[in-house]
Amino acid sequence: MKILLLGMNHRTAPVDVRERFAVDSTEIALRKLVDRPEIAEATLISTCNRVEVVVTTENLDAAQHVLYDFFARDLAKGEGPSSSALIDMTYLRSGRQAVEHVFRVASSIDSMVVGEPQILGQVKDAYREATEAGVCGAVLSRLFQRAFATAKRVKNETGIAQRPVSVARVAVDLAKQIFERLDDKSALLIGAGEMIEAALVALNDHGLGERRVANRTAAHAEALATRFGGTAHGLDELDRLLPDSDVVLTCVGGDGPILTREMIARSLVGRGARPLFLIDIGVPRNVDPEVHKIDEAYLYDLDDLQDVAAANEEERRRESERAERIVYEEREQFEGWMVALQAVPTIRNLRDRAESIRRTEIDRFAGRLRLEGAQVDTLEQLTRSIVNKLMHSPISRLRDETDREAGLIRLEEARALFGLDETTDASEDETVSERGVAGRPVDAEKEDGDREA
Amino acid sequence: MYALQYMAAALYLAAGVGAVLGLALPAPKVLRGARWGLGFGAGTQFAAFATLHQLDPAPSLTDLGYAVSVMAWLAVLFTLVLQSRIRLPGFVPPVAFIGFLATFGATLHRPDLADGTLGSTTIPHAHVLLASAGLAALGVAGLAGFFFLMEHRALKRRRSVARKIPMPSLEALDRVNRVALSLGFPLLTLGVLTGAVWLDARLGQFFSGSLHEAFMLIAWMIYLGLVVLRFAGRQGARQAAASAVAGFAFLLFAIVGAGVAS
Repeated sequence: MKILLLGMNHRTAPVDVRERFAVDSTEIALRKLVDRPEIAEATLISTCNRVEVVVTTENLDAAQHVLYDFFARDLAKGEGPSSSALIDMTYLRSGRQAVEHVFRVASSIDSMVVGEPQILGQVKDAYREATEAGVCGAVLSRLFQRAFATAKRVKNETGIAQRPVSVARVAVDLAKQIFERLDDKSALLIGAGEMIEAALVALNDHGLGERRVANRTAAHAEALATRFGGTAHGLDELDRLLPDSDVVLTCVGGDGPILTREMIARSLVGRGARPLFLIDIGVPRNVDPEVHKIDEAYLYDLDDLQDVAAANEEERRRESERAERIVYEEREQFEGWMVALQAVPTIRNLRDRAESIRRTEIDRFAGRLRLEGAQVDTLEQLTRSIVNKLMHSPISRLRDETDREAGLIRLEEARALFGLDETTDASEDETVSERGVAGRPVDAEKEDGDREA
Repeated sequence: MYALQYMAAALYLAAGVGAVLGLALPAPKVLRGARWGLGFGAGTQFAAFATLHQLDPAPSLTDLGYAVSVMAWLAVLFTLVLQSRIRLPGFVPPVAFIGFLATFGATLHRPDLADGTLGSTTIPHAHVLLASAGLAALGVAGLAGFFFLMEHRALKRRRSVARKIPMPSLEALDRVNRVALSLGFPLLTLGVLTGAVWLDARLGQFFSGSLHEAFMLIAWMIYLGLVVLRFAGRQGARQAAASAVAGFAFLLFAIVGAGVAS
């Protein structure tokens, strides 16, 4: 059984192309896919940045054509792209490269924003949908369980997700470095535009206390305040609002600064040691830069926040190198499991072969020696013990080999040495089917190459 | 006799190293383990004190090494109590290393057990215990002040987010500073008063004019000024932090430096 993946993401296709491949009903799409005899199991990951299909198959070449066909006919909305265009905007991976890719995606190493947390939830959703649709068998289940474990390790053992990379999240992170908690803090939002709203959403996620919105246009302030459970004010009330504020967020149009050093210094009188955090995301700036020189005032403008975000992004990239090592380790472990899975039919054949020889010889000699009940039982025990002891070592070595290449070589050697390829393959089908995978003979593994288109 | 002290020192050292690793990796579980290590260290040190107290004659608390060890133990306890209420990442390593140095140092500088003259009276012990507790609390205030100044500087230079090791928030550090000052100053005051009573019992006067006494009095007056400024709301958080650091440095000099010099 081999793993094959076909996908497109933010690196290979622009958004107008990706949105044409967005999946409406995952279940219907997956059923269409597994109805094809070349596909045993399937999972479909569809997010705003990627569409990926992961399948298991016995025949890589045939399955590859099925996947391209699936993308062009079943996923593409409107007129499907030409074959060459589809090859250009997708990537195809098989075997260990496919495993590694799934682990990288779940761990957010492959994301547009490295370390973003949403992708793991989206991959979990994709796995759940495939399981509910009954198209996810033993191999893909194991693959995705290991992918989730890998993502957890990456999150816990590296700093890939620790530093915020969006302006709004950087502002929240800074607020948390200044304040012990935000739920007892009062925020003053000057402006009512999209930037203010985005920052307010981020602050709100961390349980911001009181919210007051001040704006030139009262209606806009009223609308934002109503949506986020705050109060609306005019810009002429700033002097009155500032002394009670802990976080001030500004983004309004205008020529000069609306908050001067004198205004802030005045508002800080009588506050004791309470700090004031000012986030100025207006262009041109709304707060006099001199405010930052006041001890209790911490002013960050858009450039500062973007610089911090860029530095954090760079740090995440550095951390992703450590994450790659974890992915490599986990991939090796998964490969070991795959080898062990492939050893099952061979072990079964070996046992059957030994038992068949033992049974034939007992029948032959029991008749010739005219043995009776108790003597036959003793002979049964004796021969079974000999066979078990002889088989123990080769079976253990086949089962416990974790290195993929060595395991495959050992499997081939065992089949040749014991003449297993001359026996029936029926038991192989049975074994694989028992594990929830559509039964087809397991071919000798060929080298799986990275077939990125 | 000193096995428990060695064990406490080892636990503090392990907690300090664990906390540094926990913060640098970062590994929250290791950091949590380090906190437990600090707690176990404090428990073991308490057992060590109890064992020493059973000796006849018991070592005098007025012995410098022993007093510093008690002071460090109280600082560890104080930090653990604060940590249960306030998020203070970054606080465990310095406190654990101070605990290690003080405990291990006390095992090297063994008190003279034969000198039981001061060990039998209450006032000298009360003086050392109260002054040590005050110094421990003011030490924690100084540490919080030091962290505050570092954090404040990083935020003013707009470098804070790129920092690798997580630090407590400015507000948390200021709160620790305030709580430690409000607890440490009364204890220090009681320590000074019991010291004067002890002196009166020994020499028939409350103030003999020694270097240690003179510097302690100045240190107490400095702290009195800081407390007034702080709680009257006339001091910003940065000034309060700087004052806590400077105040503790002076206090340390008044006790250890002047003690050694005299």
